[in-house]
Amino acid sequence: MTIPRLLAASAFVTTMAISSAMPAAAQEREIRLSGFGAMSGVVRSFGINSKAALEAAADEINKSGGVKLGDGTKGKIVIDYFDDRCNAEEGISVTRRIASTSSLVGIGPTCSNVAEPLFGVLQKKVGDAGDSGLQFPIFTDVAIKGGLAKISEWAFRNVPDEGAMYAALFQWLKKTRPELKTIFGGVEEDFAHSRATWYAVMKEVAAKEGFEIKGEAKWLLADTNFTNQAREARRAAADIVAISAHPFTTCGMLKELGRQGVKPKLVIGLTSSSSLETLQGCAAEAEAIIIPTSFAPVTPEARAAADRAAKFNGSLDLHSGAAYEIVAILKDVIEGEGVLAKSDTVQADRAKIRNGLSKLTETKGLIGISKRTEEGEAVKPFLFVHAKGGKWEVLHNPTK
Amino acid sequence: MLIVDLVQSIVDGLLFGATYALIGIGFTLVFGVMHKINMAYAAASVGAAYAALRLIALIGGPAWASLLIAAAAGGVFGLIIYWLCFRFIPLSNPLATLMSTVGMFLLAEEIIVHTTDGMPQNYPVVVRGILDMGEFMIRGDLVFVFVCALLAMVVLLYLLYRTKLGIATRAVSQQPVAAQLVGIRLNHINALTFIVTGMLGGFAGALIGSAVGLLSPLLVIPLTIKGLIVTVIGGLGSIPGAIIAGLLVGMAENVFQYFRGVTERDIYVMLLLFVFLVFRPGGIFSNTVKRD
Repeated sequence: MTIPRLLAASAFVTTMAISSAMPAAAQEREIRLSGFGAMSGVVRSFGINSKAALEAAADEINKSGGVKLGDGTKGKIVIDYFDDRCNAEEGISVTRRIASTSSLVGIGPTCSNVAEPLFGVLQKKVGDAGDSGLQFPIFTDVAIKGGLAKISEWAFRNVPDEGAMYAALFQWLKKTRPELKTIFGGVEEDFAHSRATWYAVMKEVAAKEGFEIKGEAKWLLADTNFTNQAREARRAAADIVAISAHPFTTCGMLKELGRQGVKPKLVIGLTSSSSLETLQGCAAEAEAIIIPTSFAPVTPEARAAADRAAKFNGSLDLHSGAAYEIVAILKDVIEGEGVLAKSDTVQADRAKIRNGLSKLTETKGLIGISKRTEEGEAVKPFLFVHAKGGKWEVLHNPTK
Repeated sequence: MLIVDLVQSIVDGLLFGATYALIGIGFTLVFGVMHKINMAYAAASVGAAYAALRLIALIGGPAWASLLIAAAAGGVFGLIIYWLCFRFIPLSNPLATLMSTVGMFLLAEEIIVHTTDGMPQNYPVVVRGILDMGEFMIRGDLVFVFVCALLAMVVLLYLLYRTKLGIATRAVSQQPVAAQLVGIRLNHINALTFIVTGMLGGFAGALIGSAVGLLSPLLVIPLTIKGLIVTVIGGLGSIPGAIIAGLLVGMAENVFQYFRGVTERDIYVMLLLFVFLVFRPGGIFSNTVKRD
């Protein structure tokens, strides 16, 4: 036998020996989870942060040994991320495409105007043979408009309950700031989330807590001129101005309030505005604005998660923090339900994950335990943060 | 109170309309010279303002410097748009350049989105101050934009009617073949037109950023739509028309918002456009109603 042949034979024997000694490693499977959200357009930052959070969480789980599958093998989480451009048609199309792959769960979308019609194309009731809707679990991280998961039993959300958050905020204000009696609202009328949050949440709970509603001003998502609206706020002379709008128009309105010398005793913002965007757009004008949020780096887990997401070029906030938590929740569900992650068990695995998610009553989150409702929604712990010196700082933790 | 509010709405709208006028001038100037619409104009203007913001953040400098940098960047972008969307595209096909500039519009918007992740950027205030008269107030920065729009009109009219470049530009606009026969370089004049309008657009983009206090990719579509409306109402190719139409659209927008609310506002602005298209298709300063 020549030397090259001897070497080749040795290599073959060694390879066979290693592969027979490590069956688990050789059989390591891919657990494909597909994120989707806005990666282009004006809400691109949401998609970037969610993608980074998903990848960071998956990376952490994979480094810690992966996910134990139903037959005892170890699975590795693989994250795909798709752009839906915050467009309902594209969101549905992307989801159909994801569902045609080996992906076990869809994580998204960014926008409520995508989530609502998207949940509508899912099978409404599990096991309904007459319903040809998509049988694919969706776990939402960002789209926050209230009560959407009840549309389908395949839809689940890990978004905060704004009703509870703002109710707690107004209760706390009533107790700690008794001088605040009146409120004026500003609402971005053409965005599902901001509109719902003002009319169905902020306005309702403020009135319920005894605050007098002095009026409301309306504008659109891409508006640049807030002179009329700021003048209405000026005339209302309310103690609190509550702005239910996304960062661009929140900043526009805050700047116009400043120009017109409107100085309310307190400004309250929309949950989605407790982000870097607001500070980048108008840190000075947003100083002291109070916003309830379900994420802040206040626990060691949250701090570590934020650091990991930063390594994947993302920033953790209440939305991307939810994406991070979703991967951890899915790991537990996959392990608990005995998911196999084989090419011929994709639909069965999806059903197992759906069943597992529907059975959850609570999950571990980055800042505490979240409760799960029968309708697939989360009741997450939350904090009140305020903008201070160009940063978000925790103002109050209602759970303490 | 109603009268004060109404007057305030009219004044605010007129002043804010100056930003539309500046964008409208750019649209109308390119149309006046080449008989083409540059759909990427507002996107390039906002892009130039972003470029100025980035450069100011990088090297420092006073807020007013952003206007000059944006103008320079706008000139460069204008030339790029000319080269990519007009220079080698068959001008005889009116749809060709329209589609190429729509493509450029989308590209410019996505470049802005990808370089900024879509985040709004704080824009420095160039002119501060408010004339406060109790219930009535006038924003100094919007007055500045208004004055700039008037100055831009004067400078452009001077350029067009009192300089050799203007004569050549008008010659190209009226008789391109004859202009070439007398030695005027068509492509050179067209390129210069794009540079000049680009500079104006960059300047306008920076002024708008300063007036709004923010830059965001969200500005691109509304400015394009408003620019086009202003161009049509003002009369395609008419610079004074663009100024008047810009002010008119700004005022109409604010007054309709005051009376009918924000959700109906744009319906009435579109109706205004419709009224002009039907009854005065040549724009504000057209002498006769020209229809097919």
